[in-house]
Amino acid sequence: MSKNLYGTPTDSTDAQERALVDASCRIPVLLFIASSVFWLLVGTVFGLIASIKLHNPHFLIELPRWFALYLDKFSPDGTVDFINAMLTFGRVRPAHLNIVAYGWASASALGVAIWLMARLCRAPLRFPALVTAAMVLWNIAIAIGTIAILGGKSTSIEWLEFPSYVSIMLFVSYALISIWGVNMFVHRKPGHVYVSQWYIMAALFWFPWLYGTANLLLIFAPIQGSSQAIVNWWYGHNALGLWFTPIGLAAAYYFIPKVIGRPVHSYYLSAFGFWALALFYSWNGGHHLIGGPLPAWLITSSIVASLMMFVPVLVTAINHHMTMKGNFHMLHYSPTLRFVVFGAMSYTLASLQGSSMAFRSWNSLTHFTHYTIGHSHLGLYAFFTMIMFGSIYYIVPRLTRREWPSITLIKIHFWGSAYGIILMVLVLSVGGVVQGWMMNNPQIPQNTFENILKITNPYLFARSLSGALLMVAHIAFALNLTLILLGWGKKTGGPTLFNQLEASEEAKPKESTL
Amino acid sequence: MVLYYILMLVSLVVLGGSAVYALYWAASHGQFKKMEQNATTIFDSDEPVGEPTDAFPGIDLKKEIEHRAKAKEKSKKV
Repeated sequence: MSKNLYGTPTDSTDAQERALVDASCRIPVLLFIASSVFWLLVGTVFGLIASIKLHNPHFLIELPRWFALYLDKFSPDGTVDFINAMLTFGRVRPAHLNIVAYGWASASALGVAIWLMARLCRAPLRFPALVTAAMVLWNIAIAIGTIAILGGKSTSIEWLEFPSYVSIMLFVSYALISIWGVNMFVHRKPGHVYVSQWYIMAALFWFPWLYGTANLLLIFAPIQGSSQAIVNWWYGHNALGLWFTPIGLAAAYYFIPKVIGRPVHSYYLSAFGFWALALFYSWNGGHHLIGGPLPAWLITSSIVASLMMFVPVLVTAINHHMTMKGNFHMLHYSPTLRFVVFGAMSYTLASLQGSSMAFRSWNSLTHFTHYTIGHSHLGLYAFFTMIMFGSIYYIVPRLTRREWPSITLIKIHFWGSAYGIILMVLVLSVGGVVQGWMMNNPQIPQNTFENILKITNPYLFARSLSGALLMVAHIAFALNLTLILLGWGKKTGGPTLFNQLEASEEAKPKESTL
Repeated sequence: MVLYYILMLVSLVVLGGSAVYALYWAASHGQFKKMEQNATTIFDSDEPVGEPTDAFPGIDLKKEIEHRAKAKEKSKKV
């Protein structure tokens, strides 16, 4: 009988089993994660440009004269005009949204989901070539789609700006991974299906349906009139609620208990939360169209469903809090826990804020203002992205068998992200309410369009500062990831890895047979 | 338009049906039984309940384990 790092007697077959599973998904998962971090950097740059343009419209309105003259000499005719057009807000902003939504968030979600699925099924990855092919196709699609948006070929439908041929590529790629997910599930080791598996399976099932339906009804055979709006927001909201949220919660339900070494406080609540989310979330999108030309029952049912979201959200919040209770000091030790707990707390905040935004009175004040942008960043960044960061900090050392090379870079990443996103959400929320109040009271002479712009300007400037903080954090993260992938990290069986050295060594010969 | 109505009906039946089937499958395969015990399925013999599995590189978590063991003993005495 061997012992683990803490001296606990162990059955080495467990460590071997995990080493085999990790080895089997090493290439596709690392490729997904590495490519997603690349798109995160690109997306952040576009986000920052778009943000600066809002308070400083002359920023990058065209290439600097000396550079344009230089480029004109060495490039085909029209290149400078193309780049100048590419840098306009109308192209940079959708490029930012689609790159972070599909290039970063979805790709990192797929990487994390594949690893979690293999771990929880306790089975080596089946058809790794299929998953790798899907990953390559996904990234080619993102690259083509980004160029198309920058080239002016956007569909102009929010969240679905990629042209139709890119949508087909993304759909095929995703469908391949969904089929793989079902296959993994069918061939899992017998035993209990953990709540994270439920979330992942549901997400892999829901997203192709959402994406396929929205593309069919909006791009390939568009329905008429205001129905397009409801389909658009049904998709836009469910992309967050039925794709990113389940993956984020799956990761939180795995990593919080696993890192602190304590089972979920109430497993009943976790199962209940899953089924409540499945029941209520898909109705939520309509609250974006309050006051729009749609049947009243549709909007009202959406508001009711938005408020019913209190049930799964509070259930999850209570469960995560009670699991962490007595273990908050662990946040000092574990990078994964820091990010994941930050994300889990933000989930509660973002969801409760989202529900409150469905109230007609509050909605009429905040919708169509910067407040909504603050909310979407609270959801997709403070909740989802932070959980993905935490998951990557746990997964990558186990796949590369190395420690993270730099603690400083991890800390820069965490504090840059945390302060950056807190600042962004705060300034956009306050600025949004001021903007909304002024727009709703046009009878006051001071509330002119010009004044509204002037008053929101400092908030937008602060938002760019927060974007710069996020950029610094992302560069630190990308640097650390590049270093560990290049083999700079210390090769060890220390606490981050927590693999028993001897067991890992024993597992090595078997890896080669995979 | 007729095609859309058919598609909507089919997707409602397929999606609603699959959710109901998933719930039925889970209930009939004992997924909702012994739930507290099932919450521990993510732990292994070498990564058991009570032992943290992540830390900044270089941090010695053994001290944390010792601290926990002492706290546990204390609470038993009380």
